[in-house]
Amino acid sequence: MKMLRTRKEERRAYLLLVLPAVLLYFAVVAFPMVFSIWMSVSDYSGGQIFGGSTPVKLIGFSNYSRMWNDKYFWISLKNNVFIVLISVFGQIPLGFVLAYAINRGRVRAKGFFQTIIYLPCVISSVIVGILWQTIFSPYGPVTELMQRSIPGWENNLLSNPRTAIIPVLLVMLWMYTGTYFIIFLANLQKIDQQVLEAARIDGATEGQTLRYVILPALSGVIVTSAILAISGSLKSFDLIYAMTGGNPARRTSVLALYMYDTAFRGAPNYPLANAVSTFMMAFSFLLIIITKLVEKRFGGREE
Amino acid sequence: MNMVQQTIVDPSKKNKRRKSYLKSSEVGLFSRLFFGVVLTLFSVLSIMPLVWLALSSFKTTQEFQMNRLGLPVNWFFKNYVFAWEIGNMGTLVLNSVFYTTISTIAVVLFSMTAAFAFAKIKSKATPFLYGSFVIGILLTVQSIMVPLFLMANLVDLLDTRLGVLIPYIGLGLPIGVYLCTEYVKSIHDSIIESARIDGAGYFKIFGRIVFPMAKPVISTLSILNVLSVWNEFMLINIIVSRESLKSLPVGIMKFSSALTSDYGKQFAALVIGLLPLLLFYLAFRNKITEGVSAGAVKG
Repeated sequence: MKMLRTRKEERRAYLLLVLPAVLLYFAVVAFPMVFSIWMSVSDYSGGQIFGGSTPVKLIGFSNYSRMWNDKYFWISLKNNVFIVLISVFGQIPLGFVLAYAINRGRVRAKGFFQTIIYLPCVISSVIVGILWQTIFSPYGPVTELMQRSIPGWENNLLSNPRTAIIPVLLVMLWMYTGTYFIIFLANLQKIDQQVLEAARIDGATEGQTLRYVILPALSGVIVTSAILAISGSLKSFDLIYAMTGGNPARRTSVLALYMYDTAFRGAPNYPLANAVSTFMMAFSFLLIIITKLVEKRFGGREE
Repeated sequence: MNMVQQTIVDPSKKNKRRKSYLKSSEVGLFSRLFFGVVLTLFSVLSIMPLVWLALSSFKTTQEFQMNRLGLPVNWFFKNYVFAWEIGNMGTLVLNSVFYTTISTIAVVLFSMTAAFAFAKIKSKATPFLYGSFVIGILLTVQSIMVPLFLMANLVDLLDTRLGVLIPYIGLGLPIGVYLCTEYVKSIHDSIIESARIDGAGYFKIFGRIVFPMAKPVISTLSILNVLSVWNEFMLINIIVSRESLKSLPVGIMKFSSALTSDYGKQFAALVIGLLPLLLFYLAFRNKITEGVSAGAVKG
């Protein structure tokens, strides 16, 4: 009898404890996710879902084929790929080098460097975007500096459609390297000092210690950082929205911005926008799976 | 540990003050120099744009056009007064504080209660429920933005504070539930069992034992949530259009160069906009860097 009462009490407590989180999560995250995928294969254009004057039809993958044939989709995707590349092959290695330098170089004022290098990451990307837009603008300091060395230099950094993405990528390098720096620094400090000591006594050089001790010990962290970089790169929106607005001629657009323009600028096309966001999810999962496979194939030992 | 090290290390090279395996003399002068240069260079690059911004914010727009790089000749403080008034900065800051505080409290509380249930009360529902939260970590706000907009429209929550708060709390939950559950799992069952035997109910155990014991994860989660909610732009930008409800990142878009060429005020507005989080960062920098790396690696 007592047993039965405790079971009942247990159940009630469980239910009450999980209820707020589950309710909120399913209402504003899980359900919209399913809703979005459903919308992407329908011709829903807002308004009532059931019992409207024109019933919503499922139209298969025609939204996706429309997206596939839009040149702005490909421009956006290409820019997203650039951002993934600058994160994985720019921010992560640079972050590692900086963390390694601070950890290995026995630098004084460690805390000072750490505070400064991570600083850009805590500023809103909208503010960063506006700031750099001015810095790179024809009226900004970059023009001034360049004209001092090359008189008559003309600033078309952000107005040339073919190269406007480059300043954006540089800003991303400036802003997000600190995140990977922090992650690597925390994990470098976790490596067992005795193992490193042993390597040194065995006469390992700096490079050998790095190659055979430190990098293998960090392989898990490197993969996690890569996954973080990939999913982060695919969602980038604020910085570009504030810095270029996707212009000139939508040449610096990214998938998130393309989706936003489709849904909230001009005549809204919700199904197409949801096809884009569903594609973004799928693409992100695909890249993460590839990263995991690469790790399995070539990776060092797991921790 | 110290003893072991001392027995291994060649006594002639022993230096108790340096705990690291490398003595300064053993890192070549060249690599020390190289590391130092790399660090200094990148630090200067990190901070220069912000220093330049701060200095420029004290120039009038006319002076800025003549003198883009140097120190201000006449320090002009009025930019801040104008920017504060034009930009409605007081309202923006208060709104951001409001959204951030309320959503963080809710995310922490709901994540912790759910985590306690998932980790310490047996139920057949746990694998499914907990699993759906974990999947949600990989989700991005874009993939649910259009549905959220349409749903908010349907229930008349567009342009309301609640319409901003509800999605913020929901989006904070996946990582919150995950971090808290993993942490609560590490609390010994015996502590909870003995409290049960003493006759304590689950809510009492939660309030008196589990919640206080979870302080480290609560501070990590709070920091992650404050940073992400304070800087969130995309969602609130479509939910809210009324001036009085905008947050700092949305409101500050008014000062984009596309819309203004009044640089003095723009710079002052940007400085005002980045100050709150900068102060938060300087006050809690160690906690923040710890929290970010812990959250990132586990997530």
